[in-house]
Amino acid sequence: MIELEHIVKNFHADKDKSIHAVDDVSLTINDGDIYGIIGFSGAGKSTLVRCINLLERPDSGSVKIDGVEMMSLKPRELYKARTKIGMIFQQFNLMPSRTVLQNVAYPLKGLTRDEVRQKVRELLTLVDIPDKENAYPSELSGGQKQRVAIARALANDPTILLCDEATSALDPQTTGGVLQLLKDLNKKFGLTIVVITHEMEVVKNICRKAAVMDAGKIIETGDVFEIFSSPKHPVTKNFVRTTSNLSKIETLIKDNSPIVKVETGQVMARLVYIRADVSEPLISYASRAFDIEINIVLADVEIVADSMIGGTVVIFSGDSERIDRAIQYYIDKNIRVEVLKDARVTA
Amino acid sequence: MQELLPNLMKRLPEFWKACGDTLLMEVWSGAIIFVLGLIFGIILTVTKPGGIMENRTIYQVLDKIINLFRSIPFIILLTALMPLSRAIMGTAIYVRGVIVPLVFGATPFFARQVESALAQTEKGLVEAALSMGSSPFEVIYRVYLRESLAPIIRAITITIISLLGLTAMAGAVGAGGLGDFAIRYGHDRNMQDITWVVVAVLVSGVSIVQWLGEYFARRNTH
Repeated sequence: MIELEHIVKNFHADKDKSIHAVDDVSLTINDGDIYGIIGFSGAGKSTLVRCINLLERPDSGSVKIDGVEMMSLKPRELYKARTKIGMIFQQFNLMPSRTVLQNVAYPLKGLTRDEVRQKVRELLTLVDIPDKENAYPSELSGGQKQRVAIARALANDPTILLCDEATSALDPQTTGGVLQLLKDLNKKFGLTIVVITHEMEVVKNICRKAAVMDAGKIIETGDVFEIFSSPKHPVTKNFVRTTSNLSKIETLIKDNSPIVKVETGQVMARLVYIRADVSEPLISYASRAFDIEINIVLADVEIVADSMIGGTVVIFSGDSERIDRAIQYYIDKNIRVEVLKDARVTA
Repeated sequence: MQELLPNLMKRLPEFWKACGDTLLMEVWSGAIIFVLGLIFGIILTVTKPGGIMENRTIYQVLDKIINLFRSIPFIILLTALMPLSRAIMGTAIYVRGVIVPLVFGATPFFARQVESALAQTEKGLVEAALSMGSSPFEVIYRVYLRESLAPIIRAITITIISLLGLTAMAGAVGAGGLGDFAIRYGHDRNMQDITWVVVAVLVSGVSIVQWLGEYFARRNTH
């Protein structure tokens, strides 16, 4: 378990100017979690994650890992403790003058040559690049480099893996592969994974819980599904919005696009799923039950933390009162309804 | 040979001794400069603001001392350090007497070269090594030195070559060696064949050092 309490870290850029990189952050990450820390660039995420293995020593606060206060360890003890906390980076940080084998062997100590070789081979098989042990990093693709970095981070059988923007330098397809590997490692070894990212896709894909950071503070924490379906803080809302196609509707309305043109008597509304169990055929059912037309303009539904999330933008046309009943039906079904345009003639 | 190099052929034993003296100066001072310069270059790198053993005082003091000695022309250093040379080596002339000024003249230069070679190590590598539990000393020899082997070899090459220039200059104050040989005969007595042969020897020396340096630097680049 990782327990951060009241972490404060300031950087002194000039004599009298200091930047609050991390400003009184408390956070608990349970064993076996895949925990996301999201935020825009400069929010303090990277500094915060470096406070876990004390690559950055907090100015004040407490860092406990499995109950041990890291801040009070002697240097030797700290070096030892760090071997049990793996870390991977955006730029991979492999040693260019060493082969893959030598890179992965870097953190291994007190083993014979043969033992090292065997351990490295096991690790490379685990990350699915068993045939690259004699290659130099410059001969590898980005995805392969990150796999080597993961193998190296796992060399001392750590219980925690810190990922600092680990997929931000990779293309979407390679990102998917690396994330799948992280998921597998979590499942196989119960590895606790802390994922720092500005890419919401990454959090959606692998995290169960997440914290949202802005200006050095944690502004929202919770299950990833909750954060995505009902973000509370404006920054979180903004973040979630950037990843959803449904927010495009606002631009379309502003631009007066023909596809969002509403005829007299029609209502355009956004339906957002906020419960995790949407499985009924809501559109076709309402259409039949209330005898109205429901035309889907835009839809964006995806899977987050093994649940559906998203919604649709629809145009209702038909009898005014029936439209109201349909909307009420959706509200009863726990769907958030936002009327975007109402072109009904008010009596 | 007699006709082509009349003056040199008459003084062959002296010529060989001059070559030997130059080599001796180069090797002795070179070895000391290598060790001291490497140490100072490493200290500069790790104590620098943001370094792994950040220490403002040590960095500032060392930085200023290096700048001081780099700004003194070598010919002045040669005479200025004579008392120190007598105190340490017992003499201020011959090969023994010139080791001290050579060390003072070239160590700051080499230390700066090492500093800039180590600065090419990406910060991320250091961070990765620390995250894997390496101590600062381990980071120095397993990351900084190992990963900048090629630039360090290039720094050594450049320093050996500029040291060769300094040993020739040292000849002027009685250190012996090829510089002294060329000045006494080639210049003072206008024996041009001696000047040209000395130049040829120095040029081939520089070329060999340069070629070897480049060869080893390439072998360590991946």
